[in-house]
Amino acid sequence: MQVQQLVGIVPWTFIAQLCNLFLQVFLIKKFLFNPINEMLEKRRAKADAEIRDAQQAKSEAEAVKTEYEQNMQKARAEANELIAEAKKTASARTEEMIKEAESQAYAIRARAEKDIEQEKKKAVNEIRDEIGGIAMDIAGKVIEREISEKDHEKLINDFISNVGETS
Amino acid sequence: MELDISGARVFCTLPVDLPVLGKLQISETMVVSWLVLILITGLCKWLTHDLKEENITKRQAVAELLVETANNFVIGNMGERFRYMIPFVAALFTTSVVSNLISLVGLRSPTADLSTEAAWAVVVFIMITAQKIKTNGALGYLKDFTTPIPVMTPFNILSEIATPISMACRHFGNILSGVVINALIYGALALASSALLGLLPGVIGNVLSQIPILDVGIPAILSVYFDWFSGIMQAFIFCMLTTLYIANAAGET
Repeated sequence: MQVQQLVGIVPWTFIAQLCNLFLQVFLIKKFLFNPINEMLEKRRAKADAEIRDAQQAKSEAEAVKTEYEQNMQKARAEANELIAEAKKTASARTEEMIKEAESQAYAIRARAEKDIEQEKKKAVNEIRDEIGGIAMDIAGKVIEREISEKDHEKLINDFISNVGETS
Repeated sequence: MELDISGARVFCTLPVDLPVLGKLQISETMVVSWLVLILITGLCKWLTHDLKEENITKRQAVAELLVETANNFVIGNMGERFRYMIPFVAALFTTSVVSNLISLVGLRSPTADLSTEAAWAVVVFIMITAQKIKTNGALGYLKDFTTPIPVMTPFNILSEIATPISMACRHFGNILSGVVINALIYGALALASSALLGLLPGVIGNVLSQIPILDVGIPAILSVYFDWFSGIMQAFIFCMLTTLYIANAAGET
């Protein structure tokens, strides 16, 4: 079989190898680089999208959290207000009650004093009448005759009033 | 015993005879090159069939690793703007490696033919020159030959031409030396085994000495260097020089 030179450039082989090289570049690009690069690009896009989603979810969660905190603060403030108002109402009511009790006590005391005064007057009148009666009896017995009550009423009253004043 | 180390065999000669190019001969180099081409393309197709975005297979992981490595190699040596060079450098490297290693299955490496490396080196040389003209302009490119002094012009031209020649010859020489040394070793070991077994007495010695028993196994150890290491190394050096020369021409470094 015919052989070519061991060291030498054969033009046709040279051309064939040039064509082979460019064909290989084209084929390797088409069958290895393009599909793999496309796939890597897709994967990167997907990863980016996922990161973006996660960030969005995070910001949403933060917004919810701030809202919740605000609500909590508001609720706490409201509760404090309610308690303060309740305290105020309670103290006002207490004072009112105390005042009422005091006024009632005053009223009771005043009535009691009035009663006592009346009773006293009544007692004085009773005693006066009794003393009048006794004085009549004593005077009847002393002068041995009937003294008409009518005739000497004035005299007796004078006497009694004198007694009342001295007693 | 005769040892014959020859060039590529010619399978057939087609009836085409052009003035400069000569007769169109289908040589072993061409046929094995086409085989390499089909092999690499088949490998690429196999590596990239049914790609997935997640839960990737080992096969896909390897494919991605290869692509990433090629990307990093080219962009690391040449910069981001030479991204379009990635398939070229990758094709150069894979073709070179597969061509060098195909000698392991008994075929003749296409890279053991200077025509192959010459073709590659010429392509690289044209790329370098194009890049230089693109960077400095045609005038700037020509003016560059007269630096640092006009007397240096012939030497500059010589060094410019030396680039592709040295690239081609370096690669070719390494592979050819592997071929030559392998042939020598096979021949020497055959002789040695024939001499050794010839010592046996009588007919047994005569029969056994015909079998080159030492050729089994021992050349494989040497092929670790001459085929595997040298083959991969030369492919790497060729691509490294390609990227560096072009990046240098673009004023990248």
